[in-house]
Amino acid sequence: MALEPFKTATALTMGVELELQLVSLTDFDLLPCADDMLHLLARNRFPGDVKPEITESMIEVATDVHTRYDELLAQLQQIRDALVAAGDKLNVGLCGGGTHPFQHWSDRRIFAKPRFKELSWLYGYLAKQFTVFGQHVHIGCSSANEGLFLLHALNRYLPHFIALSASSPFSQGTDTLFDSARLNSVFAFPLSGRAPFILEWEKFGDAYFSKMEKTGVVKTMKDFYWDIRPKPEYGTIELRVCDTPLTVEWAAVLAAYLQALCRMLLERSDPPPTEDDYLVYNYNRFQACRFGLDGYLVHPQSNENLSIREDILATLERLAPHAAALGSTPALEALSLLASSQGNHASELRKIYASAGNVASVTEHATRMFRRQEAL
Amino acid sequence: MFSINEMFWPAAIALAWVVGELSFRWISLPRISSYGITGFAMAASQGEILGDPSGQVVAQMANVAFALILFELGYRINLRWLRHNYWLGVTSLVESIGTFAAVFFVANAFSMSLTSSLMLAALAMSTSPAAVLRVANDTRSTGQITERLLHLTAFNTVLTVFVFKIVLGYWMLESAVSIPQAAWHSVMVLFISASVGVLFGVVVPGLLRLIDNRGRNSTVAFAITVILLTSLTHILGFSSLIAALAFGLVARHRRVVLTQTQRNFGALGDVLTVVLFVFVAASLDWKHVSDGLGIALAVIVCRFLIKTASAALFARPSGIGWRKGALTGLAMMPMSAFVMLLLEQTKYLELDVMNQVAGLAAIVLLLEIIGPVMTQRALMLAGEANQKEGD
Repeated sequence: MALEPFKTATALTMGVELELQLVSLTDFDLLPCADDMLHLLARNRFPGDVKPEITESMIEVATDVHTRYDELLAQLQQIRDALVAAGDKLNVGLCGGGTHPFQHWSDRRIFAKPRFKELSWLYGYLAKQFTVFGQHVHIGCSSANEGLFLLHALNRYLPHFIALSASSPFSQGTDTLFDSARLNSVFAFPLSGRAPFILEWEKFGDAYFSKMEKTGVVKTMKDFYWDIRPKPEYGTIELRVCDTPLTVEWAAVLAAYLQALCRMLLERSDPPPTEDDYLVYNYNRFQACRFGLDGYLVHPQSNENLSIREDILATLERLAPHAAALGSTPALEALSLLASSQGNHASELRKIYASAGNVASVTEHATRMFRRQEAL
Repeated sequence: MFSINEMFWPAAIALAWVVGELSFRWISLPRISSYGITGFAMAASQGEILGDPSGQVVAQMANVAFALILFELGYRINLRWLRHNYWLGVTSLVESIGTFAAVFFVANAFSMSLTSSLMLAALAMSTSPAAVLRVANDTRSTGQITERLLHLTAFNTVLTVFVFKIVLGYWMLESAVSIPQAAWHSVMVLFISASVGVLFGVVVPGLLRLIDNRGRNSTVAFAITVILLTSLTHILGFSSLIAALAFGLVARHRRVVLTQTQRNFGALGDVLTVVLFVFVAASLDWKHVSDGLGIALAVIVCRFLIKTASAALFARPSGIGWRKGALTGLAMMPMSAFVMLLLEQTKYLELDVMNQVAGLAAIVLLLEIIGPVMTQRALMLAGEANQKEGD
């Protein structure tokens, strides 16, 4: 099967996918009940899309395609309300967060679907350890080459998204010292990382994808776990580095940030991306995972050492006219407040741990945050 | 002076444990079923190896074992669930009252006396918390059926104690008191027992906070408190079962910080479970069992039908499919340990319930063995048992 053609979409449309945790309200461990949740949700019209994920304690929801931030936010809130209502009926807690703070990976059950069983066999314990929860944001592209351009132009901003969304400081019961421990689980997969530096879709298909396909390593684009990957069947690029935030409001804000950023990049006022940009890519990504907003990144072209926090604030300033044009000014103002004074969700979870002294309270807090409407 | 009799109970418990391990390995029989079989085989009526355990230290140990289990059950109950899903409450009422009515009808058909029929009907409502929690924990079962099973069990446990006390009052004082008076007495006992439990539930987590036990394992603290609570309510003549359940419930709903507790109270719970189930079966008399076999089978079948049908009927409105509903009903079959403990606590009344209520001994014995198997199978069929028990 050759690489499928890249469907064109309306530029700068966006859609959000969220992987969520299903937890017990007694001990706050993960609860394998995706099946029951899906069964119940299927009875009413769901305000979006909902499907199972690889282990039975995860559920994935997706929005429709949106052009405006406020509409995206409204749909995410409807989705949240429908999920919370179903959870209440089944005595199941729902929450965001990139990892479950204390689950034991060996307790997880693989969801009964052939693809998941296959992945489980192939990857062994990696598949069960992959019980991590991410937010994916799709941005519509008017052409395949525009998509590839955006994909690579975003490389220098990628740490922003990691640092802003980071909500997985705990893993297997301990503080990992990372703000996003989730991404470490993703890096364990052989096809994770970044896309090859190719800016034309045809060349991407001939020179890369079909060669990879011939090796037998991959069959579809789905087999790549890249940080950003093209999604030809939707005509989008998909940013996959974000942890699922603790609230849907925050998920909408992150999507709005990406949308505004893409609008600016499409003006092509930044210097064009080059292969050498990726020399500092893994280092920058590590800094964002480990230190979050307090990390430092190396600018790939000027080689300057920049505080991630300050780099985000500077970028937000540049984005102001774009946000105004897209109608997402409130979202970017919330981001600016967070980056300048509050911390990210990882630091919030650490505060809970410091006062409660145990990891179960961290998850309990996350379930309460997920339910309530966040004022931005 | 050394007496060989003192060795019998410890030896019986050791033997029951060995039988439990082996029959689990060979035929996947839930361990608690084996403990029952072993206990019954060595009971007083079957060659007098074990003396009648009632009123002895072993009975007190069984009481503590059961109270620990009720505490754990209470701790796993989320009362807010009833508010969000009142169909669960409807299910509980229908399956309990339906079982009461059906068993009362069956007992009448076997021409039992009114008070015996009422007694049997009241006891048949209950699901044994010891058996279901033990099987759920041993199979590391988690999911919707497990949750519903535990909640419905807790609810029908409370209902049974309530109705049982009314019937008991009525039975004891048949002409002297009216049913409203018996009911009032029953309500008071329940109320005071529950209040003691609630008091413990408020004070103990507070004390744990005071000594800054946060983040540490509270298993030991809770176990010691349950032992204390059991003796206290026993001395005062209240229901230690209701007190322990209320303690667990309040400790859960009032927790400010979460504390980790070990499932089954760890090794302590494991040991006491062997004692509990050997005790239950060793209290049975073969003569009572064989006498009431006919009515016992009728009651078991009718109890099975009502519980399964009610759980299946209200499955859909309560948010699951009918198949899972029926499996919940199936999992609710055990009742033995609870009934025996309830009777043990009324020993001071010198009523020989086993003798007077035909079929009860046979029901207890049969369900002690097959009840846990049905729970185990239901959880496996629902796909909620993580693996076979204890693997």
